[in-house]
Amino acid sequence: MTKTFLILAALAATAMPGWAVLGGSAESVVTDQLKFQAKRSVVETQEYTIHEISRDDGTLIREYVTPAGKVFGVSWSGPVLPDLAQLLGPYNSEFQATVHAKARHRRTAEVANPDLVVESGGHMRAFVGRAYLKSMLPSGVTQEAVK
Amino acid sequence: MRRAARRGLAAAVTVLSVSLAACGGGAASTSSSGGTTPSPPVVNNVQPIVVDSGPSLNGQPIGTNDELFTTVTICVPGTTTCQNIDHVLVDTGSSGLRILSSQITMTLPYTTDAGNNLIGNCVQYADTTYQWGPLAKVDVRMANEVAGSVPIQIVGPSNFVAAPAACSAGGTAAQTVLELGANGILGVGLFRQDCRPACASSSPPSVYFSCPAAGCTPTSIALTAQLQNPVWMFAQDNNGLAITLPQIGPTGAVSVTGSMIFGIGTQSNNGLNSAQAQAVNSLGNFTTTFNGVPYSNSYIDSGSSGFFFLDSTATGLPDCTSTSIVAGFYCPASPLNFTAITSGPNPNGSKTTVSANIAFSIGNALTLIESPNTAFNNLGGSSSGVFDWGLPFFFGRTVFIGVESQSSAAGIGPYWAY
Repeated sequence: MTKTFLILAALAATAMPGWAVLGGSAESVVTDQLKFQAKRSVVETQEYTIHEISRDDGTLIREYVTPAGKVFGVSWSGPVLPDLAQLLGPYNSEFQATVHAKARHRRTAEVANPDLVVESGGHMRAFVGRAYLKSMLPSGVTQEAVK
Repeated sequence: MRRAARRGLAAAVTVLSVSLAACGGGAASTSSSGGTTPSPPVVNNVQPIVVDSGPSLNGQPIGTNDELFTTVTICVPGTTTCQNIDHVLVDTGSSGLRILSSQITMTLPYTTDAGNNLIGNCVQYADTTYQWGPLAKVDVRMANEVAGSVPIQIVGPSNFVAAPAACSAGGTAAQTVLELGANGILGVGLFRQDCRPACASSSPPSVYFSCPAAGCTPTSIALTAQLQNPVWMFAQDNNGLAITLPQIGPTGAVSVTGSMIFGIGTQSNNGLNSAQAQAVNSLGNFTTTFNGVPYSNSYIDSGSSGFFFLDSTATGLPDCTSTSIVAGFYCPASPLNFTAITSGPNPNGSKTTVSANIAFSIGNALTLIESPNTAFNNLGGSSSGVFDWGLPFFFGRTVFIGVESQSSAAGIGPYWAY
């Protein structure tokens, strides 16, 4: 059973784009969407809700939200990287600490810690990635859902 | 095509003397006779490239792995005030020239926009490193080819505003020799510009910024003002390039030298021969099929210091220890052999699919990187859902890069041929 809502917003925005934070509450998604000068659609499944934020420049960000309103996963694709400090919140420092201990010019980032998983790939004009918290996956949902 | 080439060879001899006479003045001689395209002069189109231990810091090479370098000459436009920048990373995964500000001794004025504000340029990589800095124009010289007044990025000057959050994006700057492992990046990828078309739109991504005193905000910018792949701005040999590196053994090599040859089928030394061309999609990607599964996020990137593909589940390759210096790489006990199929439409317009079987090997990254060698054809790591054919792909091959909208015997770019 899937319901789809489409909300359009085009406001003059000067603030940097922002998103609800991985592991945090989804309440700020709407505000984020307005700041981001983006379109948002919401897809509800039985186990979780997907908030899709898209921009005309080709950016697509998906936030995966538990029935309790917590963001358990995020994914992105687009011409530039999303602001991971905002998207991953407190988990970005864990991600950065792990990924930059490594060799130069890997041009990819893969972190698989006990709870946090981050995968970032692609190249100029075409980035793809996702992040999720294993401990917050709703029951019956695997990491394959975050894409 | 063939007839034109022969005619070109005869005409080239005459044009060469004209070109030499004009040398220094920078004047380009053009012909308006009879509707035939004037033949370009034959110039040296072979630029030396090397994989070695990288740029020096305090007299010592910093030590790099699988990084391909060249020396680029940049000049104040229209003058002979020039500077050689050594150990610039040759990068088929991006477009545009970027030089660390710490390496530039000439005075180069920064470019401003219509509102007289400085323009900031941002480039990001999937490992979440970035470079930020203003634009300047230089003449770019490689071999005997010249690209005039090319917008380039000056990376990380101390007299320029700090990177906005939309550029740093929570990542880490790679703006010093030690951080970058190079003195600059030469983006000679498939596209003419670094951003087009998105950055010329009314909803530009965070690549170009207008920087008044109040702070930098993303701005749209004309195609001609964006960072340019210098190759398509050459006066001739401008439809693409080829990168040629010899094959090396499974334990690697201390250093490897090869050639970057400009033009495709424009001179006697850059014909496609048996190379098969595959076009890419608008993002620069093609499809790689591995174990019967197609992966559409596939690309060839000489700026990636290894094959970065899929994950240990899909490949059967064990990951290196997550706490080691080679975390993220693969560490099989002994080298493992693989085959994958790359495919894309023929760029000649026939729309038939062109495929190539690629055999490759993955060795133990820890053993390789801890050895004294710097060039490896079997260094690899994970990148979930992605197939990044990095620098190891280039050993033992000639790889042609057909630049966007430029024409050759293979068809119209963007395409790869090998």
